[in-house]
Amino acid sequence: MTKEQPVTIVMIEDDEGHARLIEKNIRRAGISNAIRHFVDGTSALDYLYNDQNGPTHGGPALVLLDLNLPDMSGTDILARIKGEGVLKRTPVVVLTTTDDKVEIQRCYDLGCNVYITKPVNYESFAEAIRQLGLFLSVIQVPEVEAE
Amino acid sequence: MMSAFQRFGTLSERQFNRLVLTLMSLGFLALIAAGTAAGWLMLRNQDHTRWLVHTYQVEQQINLFRLDLERTETARRGLLIEPTARFRQVFDQGTRALGPDIDRLATLTSDNSAQYADIAELRRRVAEMAGVARASVALIDQGRRADALERFSLDGSVERVRAIRSLTERMLERERALLLERDRQQRDSVHTFFVALGILAVLLVLVGISSLVAIRRYTTALSESRGELKTLNESLEDLVEERTSDLKRANDEIQRFAYIVSHDLRSPLVNVLGFTAELDAALKPLDALISRADEAAPGLIDDQSRIAVREDVPEAIGFIRSSTQKMDRLINAILKLSREGRRTITPEPLDMTQLAHGVADGLHHRIAELGAEIHVAAELPAIVSDRLAIEQIMSNLVENAVKYLQPGRPGRIEIRGHRIGLRAIFEVQDNGRGIDPKDHARIFDLFRRSGVQDQPGEGIGLAHVRALAYRLGGTIDCASALGEGATFRLSLPLRYSEEQKVTS
Repeated sequence: MTKEQPVTIVMIEDDEGHARLIEKNIRRAGISNAIRHFVDGTSALDYLYNDQNGPTHGGPALVLLDLNLPDMSGTDILARIKGEGVLKRTPVVVLTTTDDKVEIQRCYDLGCNVYITKPVNYESFAEAIRQLGLFLSVIQVPEVEAE
Repeated sequence: MMSAFQRFGTLSERQFNRLVLTLMSLGFLALIAAGTAAGWLMLRNQDHTRWLVHTYQVEQQINLFRLDLERTETARRGLLIEPTARFRQVFDQGTRALGPDIDRLATLTSDNSAQYADIAELRRRVAEMAGVARASVALIDQGRRADALERFSLDGSVERVRAIRSLTERMLERERALLLERDRQQRDSVHTFFVALGILAVLLVLVGISSLVAIRRYTTALSESRGELKTLNESLEDLVEERTSDLKRANDEIQRFAYIVSHDLRSPLVNVLGFTAELDAALKPLDALISRADEAAPGLIDDQSRIAVREDVPEAIGFIRSSTQKMDRLINAILKLSREGRRTITPEPLDMTQLAHGVADGLHHRIAELGAEIHVAAELPAIVSDRLAIEQIMSNLVENAVKYLQPGRPGRIEIRGHRIGLRAIFEVQDNGRGIDPKDHARIFDLFRRSGVQDQPGEGIGLAHVRALAYRLGGTIDCASALGEGATFRLSLPLRYSEEQKVTS
């Protein structure tokens, strides 16, 4: 077991455009971690729990989660990840268009680590992603200790 | 008959009134007819009595005449037997009375030609008889009683008297026959009267029965409809409740719809803006490339390309960005409104004076900056309602007042309030630029604004205020004229209740 295991970014986002923008900004922020992109909840959950390279069996991961998915609600996935088992400590960043206070509250109650509203103001969006990069470098530390 | 009764049951009020009026008129007419008939009968009676009296008078007069005749005749005969002064006196009286007796009889029977003819005959006979009697009495006066006696048996006095008697008898008979005829007529008129009276009585009874039936039908219908009304009234509550829940459902549906639509609209917007930024970022190396090319090989880049990269594309990006940002603000406004509609209302007692002061203090800096002043009335009525919503309403109204002050006029904003029955009225008055009356309804619509568009804003504030006011069971309206300031009048129930919200 290597102490330095790179974090895989699991992006669950049904909108290809959003996904591309997020990826671009992540890269632009200097984050070179692998990004696994899923456009629906079912395949994402399958990867998270069953895939050999997934976080359950493989290395650490960070989940970027969109709340509006075609097949299920993002909050269901969040509840599943945070509610039980090995993925409990996996950081989840909720990325969505909603800035509804109730929804944000609910996500934090379910255990989401960061909630980022996809802003139309693109500059602040890019800034948020850059901060996420900072966040990513920080969370690598406990992962390493956990190993 | 039954069908007629049933028809009464379905009479309209107007028809019923007309029917009752007709029946009453009919009844009155019948009564008047009965009265007239009675009057007519009385007149007939009077007439009859007068004729009866007349007949008796005639009879009496005939008898009187006959008496005088007999007296005269008896006196003459007495004088023939024993010529005393007493007989003589009676004779004179008798003969003198006969003429007037006939005259009176003539007057009484002047209307009857048969009688009149008989009277002429009578007059002639009496004159003859009187002549003979006087002659005989004259003989006695001369002391020739024997001559007189002789003449008496020869002069036919006895026959003459008998003829006169039969004549008068005939007259009496005629008069009696007349009386009998009149009696018959009288009986006939009484009969007619009773028949008429009977018919009228039947008519009255019929009118009475029809009126009674009509009224009964009508009252039955009335009490039936009253019962129906009562039932309706009772079921109305249920109906209202049902409709209310329908409305609630529809409202929830709309709220959800607005939420989903606006939410999903934001998603593509993020892409548009994101990739616009990417485009913008991509322009930078292009711009640098042009600069370098110009330096290395002037003339390589033509003006068209340079303008495209340095002016056209940045301009296009600018428009795309500002439009998308505006769209985002609008979508956010819809989202906010729909979220406000879904928020649960938590009523609590509110000290409105304090709340208004809080709102005014929140805008203190801007108000001071503009040199305006804000005045909150000493005692605003306290209400039980949702604090957040009321604060939002008040601050939106005051913000608007501050925003649209008339330049060059020291601004003055006033917050007042009073109670009317179970409602509280709050007024926010300013002396600002005012609102054209044709826009008074429009300004409460989403994205609609009025007047010169020199202030930032999307036309959301007042739409939000109205949505909140409705939600709290209140109303909001505006009184204003251009250049003369505006007064926004918020009417709220003193106590918020769930039902009020929907019924308002």
